[in-house]
Amino acid sequence: MRQIWLLLVLTGCSSSLQGERTVTDDLGRTVRVPPKINRVAPLAPSITELLFAAGAGAKVAGVSTVDNFPPAVYSLPRYSAVPLDIEAIVALDVDLVLASEQVNTPGTAATFTAVGIPVYFVTVSALEDVTRVIRDLGELLQTSEAASHRAVELEDSLRQLSMLTADIPEPPDILFLIDYMTLYAFGQGSYIHSMIQIAGGHSITESLSARFPILTDEFVLTANPDVIAGSFGMDFEMSRLLVYHPTWDILPAVTSNQVHGLEADLYLRPGPRLIAGAWKLAAVLHPAIIMEP
Amino acid sequence: MNRWTVLLLTLAFISVVVSVSTGQTVSFTDAFSVLWYHITFGYAPVPDPIADRIVWQLRLPRALLALIAGGGLGVIGAAMQTLVRNPLADPYILGISSGATAGASLFYLGFLPPLISKVISMPVAAFAGGLGAILIVYGVAGIRGRISVTRLLLAGVAVASLMGALSAFITLSSPEPDKLRSVLFWLLGSLHLATWTTLIGPIIAVSIGLFGLLVMARPLDGMLTGDESAHSLGVPVESVKRIVIVLASLVTGAIVASSGAIGFVGLIVPHAVRSFTGVTHRRVLPASFIAGAVFLLWADLAARALLPDAQLPVGIVTALCGVPFFLILLHRNHQSFG
Repeated sequence: MRQIWLLLVLTGCSSSLQGERTVTDDLGRTVRVPPKINRVAPLAPSITELLFAAGAGAKVAGVSTVDNFPPAVYSLPRYSAVPLDIEAIVALDVDLVLASEQVNTPGTAATFTAVGIPVYFVTVSALEDVTRVIRDLGELLQTSEAASHRAVELEDSLRQLSMLTADIPEPPDILFLIDYMTLYAFGQGSYIHSMIQIAGGHSITESLSARFPILTDEFVLTANPDVIAGSFGMDFEMSRLLVYHPTWDILPAVTSNQVHGLEADLYLRPGPRLIAGAWKLAAVLHPAIIMEP
Repeated sequence: MNRWTVLLLTLAFISVVVSVSTGQTVSFTDAFSVLWYHITFGYAPVPDPIADRIVWQLRLPRALLALIAGGGLGVIGAAMQTLVRNPLADPYILGISSGATAGASLFYLGFLPPLISKVISMPVAAFAGGLGAILIVYGVAGIRGRISVTRLLLAGVAVASLMGALSAFITLSSPEPDKLRSVLFWLLGSLHLATWTTLIGPIIAVSIGLFGLLVMARPLDGMLTGDESAHSLGVPVESVKRIVIVLASLVTGAIVASSGAIGFVGLIVPHAVRSFTGVTHRRVLPASFIAGAVFLLWADLAARALLPDAQLPVGIVTALCGVPFFLILLHRNHQSFG
């Protein structure tokens, strides 16, 4: 370990000699980065996906143990993201660490900064942030052209979807759950609400003050959702929901069989695949109008 | 019935009404019409189906579980304090709750075979765990028949930590998807899983505990005078002790299996009650039951109101009230008891 620490101190010194760039990340932090960034370590799977979308896949030095997309990640070194294996990341000799505001804390940044690795935080709190972040990362990693190309593709796809759902007269009330045993949901400031809106629905948890509220059965009964969707996986069956929440049998979502298990990664990893997730959700909500692209 | 009992019963009734009719939703009148509909066996007008589910299937079982669990813990606390002749005892501090938690979580996560059905097996596993824990604590604390309070508390702390660590380890190493919440549930307690069926186990166990101890009210009174004088009064001291330990484990096991390890109810309640009722068990036990029930119900209301978006475990509230109380008792403990 001692050699690695020593190495770090040395590389930290050398980069400061070459004249750094100063950038501002999504948390408003000022981050000093080397003029050319060749190796980066993303701390969350969503960031890996954003990096590949920004055309910077070749600069990804390693990924977390739970990364599974794009397929190129399978040939990269792995490290634990929760709990964070800082030593493993330091050993990869990276120029920059990319953190997710959703997953990581400012304490993480302090630890990396202390060993001379700058940390850049990324925030995705609405669907539009996805392409904004892709462009930002392109600029940061000098792959602007590829990033902008991909961003335009994704924006076109979103525009197409919003045109299809724009004329839906009464968007159904949707409860989006992360888990159906403990009722984790998305509260204020989450990207999920803009996904639901563009898919032609209205999220019933958008004004809850907690970021990840735990709902009560009572809350759900009162909100009376028309549709319950969740990152429960594709093999989910409605009967399992009723085992844990037997009082929900009279909800419109249950009586009209509108309880849907969706592929978790398309909704829980705020990266480019959210757009595919929005299409998928729209197809589930309005099968007569929308076919998946 | 003396006037304290009447007062406590009235308070319990009011508390249930408040608990059932407060929440983020459902107005007081809606809640009342739901209760009226069920009280009249369906002769009253049919209430709104959503309000019916919220009040009758979610809030009322939860309020009743709070009453039964709180009452049970109060009664067992009173009996344990008599057993060790010290007001610093309760099933949580002496490790029964954590032992029961370890037993229940072992079963819950599939490490123990289900004997008959989950409704019965889980309280049985919790009972066995609680009994194991208190036997260790009691065995360590007693030397030649004399219980040292210091040793008792230290052994209780040690065994409670061990059993808590065991439960957390079992839960975190299990395939359970929401491990951290489960650990919180087992270690801090929560009443959110209450349904009409989960009430059955606690009702049976707490009834056995309460009536069993009431039958022994006179021998328990005798125990307060000390083992030797109790013996000379004709009290079968060793048998009474054994029965108290078994009943304490039974009641705590059933409560833990349905609502996790809720601490300090058994500590505060009997102590507070004794200042009104005196020390005779014929009065202390029923009063502890009602006072414990009301206390836990209000603690749960507070837990629901404090962080409605986070489902605060009720054990946090009881610990916030209970620990300062425990420390005051510990400071004053040079005073005699009984």
